[in-house]
Amino acid sequence: MPGVTQSLLERRCQGTLNDYVTAIAWAVNGKRLAIASAAGEVAFLDTETWVPVSLRGGNGQSIDCLGFSPDGRYLAAGGQTGEVMIWAIDRPPDQITTLHIPRTWIDSLTWSPTRNELAFSLGRHVQVWAADEAAVVATLPFETSSVLDLAWHPQGEHLAVSGHQGVKIWRRADWFADPEIRETAAASLAIAFSPDGQYLASGNLDRTMLVWAFDNPFPWEMRGFPGKVRHVAWSSVTVGQAPLLAAASMEAAVTWTKVSDAIDGWDAQVLDLHRERVNDIAFEPSTTLLASAAEDGWLCLWANGEQPVQILEGAPKGFTGLAWSPNGQWLAAGGQNGEWLVWTKSNRGRGFGRG
Amino acid sequence: MVTTDIPNSVPVTVLTGYLGAGKTTLLNRILTYEHGKKLAVIVNEFGEVGIDNQLVIDADEEIFEMNNGCICCTVRGDLIRIIGNLMKRRDKFDHLVIETTGLADPAPVIQTFFVDEDMQGKLSLDAVVTVVDAKHIHDHWEAEEAQEQIAFADVILLNKTDLVSEVELAELESRIRGMNAMAKVYRTRDAAVEMESILGVNAFSLDRALEIDPDFLGEDAHEHDETVGSIALVEPGAVSGAKLNGWLSHLLQTQGPDIFRMKGILNLAGEEQRFVFQGVHMLFDGRPDRPWKPGETRKNELVFIGRNLNADRFREDFRACLV
Repeated sequence: MPGVTQSLLERRCQGTLNDYVTAIAWAVNGKRLAIASAAGEVAFLDTETWVPVSLRGGNGQSIDCLGFSPDGRYLAAGGQTGEVMIWAIDRPPDQITTLHIPRTWIDSLTWSPTRNELAFSLGRHVQVWAADEAAVVATLPFETSSVLDLAWHPQGEHLAVSGHQGVKIWRRADWFADPEIRETAAASLAIAFSPDGQYLASGNLDRTMLVWAFDNPFPWEMRGFPGKVRHVAWSSVTVGQAPLLAAASMEAAVTWTKVSDAIDGWDAQVLDLHRERVNDIAFEPSTTLLASAAEDGWLCLWANGEQPVQILEGAPKGFTGLAWSPNGQWLAAGGQNGEWLVWTKSNRGRGFGRG
Repeated sequence: MVTTDIPNSVPVTVLTGYLGAGKTTLLNRILTYEHGKKLAVIVNEFGEVGIDNQLVIDADEEIFEMNNGCICCTVRGDLIRIIGNLMKRRDKFDHLVIETTGLADPAPVIQTFFVDEDMQGKLSLDAVVTVVDAKHIHDHWEAEEAQEQIAFADVILLNKTDLVSEVELAELESRIRGMNAMAKVYRTRDAAVEMESILGVNAFSLDRALEIDPDFLGEDAHEHDETVGSIALVEPGAVSGAKLNGWLSHLLQTQGPDIFRMKGILNLAGEEQRFVFQGVHMLFDGRPDRPWKPGETRKNELVFIGRNLNADRFREDFRACLV
């Protein structure tokens, strides 16, 4: 592979769960990691010991989402049992509460970046649970469909919810007020705020991506994707006029650079290396190094969001997801067969070959 | 496009029927039948169908919504999300049954399997099975949903036959065949039907592009008192591919929302192979099929099911495509 010669990351540790890895989450300090599987397992690791602790054995019902609270004190998990489980992160972690929502799949959850408040989807609704009060403080009706994705604004004052034909944005200051609506022609599958809070991107079922300036309902529309846009990710680094943006669609990852305010003011760079579907993408915190995890069993690293610099392997049947630790020290990824792997920045300078 | 040629793809049965027609009874039969298959069932109206070792998912929402025929808008993420989650398990199911609400138009569900890349790769549409209440269908003939459920079906169960006379039944069956000349019709009580008649039917396979009721083809004097009906064209001769393309694209652009389903076998000019195609609303799928056999009469057979279709106009326009 011409150009793919560096060894930025090297493998630190790995393990296996009993089925498809559905979710990976890091605590904000980058010292704790949780991994969930379609068999219903939740594993917890501390980067001091790297010894996996099973928080939940598999009962066959998938756990689909995980997240650490912003202060690192709580871990939440949700899934097909219709439960949201909360652990207090002590040594060892202790499950302190379970919210029961019968006959509902909990397939997305996300903690506020600024408070111990957890938003999770339950069918056509989103609930916000405040850990400090141990109470549900808001129930938000999405109405037009079930909820497909959730994202908090980085300042924690707004919650965006995506689904059929749009994104609805509620204000935390008044959960009962009508949400602002950002319309999409088809279903909005994946949403993300830029880390500076200036932009919202939505990957859509109709092979488009829309980007809104946060205070403007009129979007830029990016077309020409080979399939539905299943993931969107922002770098915190501004390239051109806005943070660098990436989208995943079929075998392609595409990075977008804003060059002007014009209707066609974003330039695309197609990252063409994967041979099968790209299942997840994310930028290394504070850099423009993009990681793309795909069905072909490759996890590719792209310098400056365009240049392939390393291919990581370890999930022969395909990678299902990935997560950078917020301090940028670690990269974790999961696979179809339950494999999980963690890589770290190489200390050995720049080598050659694959990781 | 939807094909059944994908290895290891999971077949999908879409179960429709007006409220009270007997869908739940049929679903219970499917779930309790010893077919040795692991089923996943997505239901919209949660009933008492919890069976050990079978998966019943309550969609609990109107997944299926029509929106002016725009496919992007009709195919919603909900169904894809649910199935995507199901497909992550290593211990996957062997067959998926989707029960639509009694008031739903089945098209968006079918279209989801045509247009979504994840669905296309891992699932194949097996058949649309519609349960019709032989006694009470007369109360809602006028409802568009009831007509569409019949029009989209590959298999129709004429259920509750014990509640109507043979004369009424014959009349009803003839009326239904006038609307949908492609579907197999079975008369049932308590939705009792052989499982082979409804599961593993392969109705969307292009290898089985056309099975028109021969009686329908024979009759020219069909009563077309419904707005929903079938048109069958059987024409000898060879078709110009370019002209046919022109005609079909024009047809789908102008009448796409009114054309529910179409299937056909064509004798394309200059080709040694049969050409088979099918379509659901504006979505179209076609490819060359087996070669014409020596001595086989090369002809074109097409069936269209839709609303307010003008048979004479169709025949005329098709003939204009002949070389």
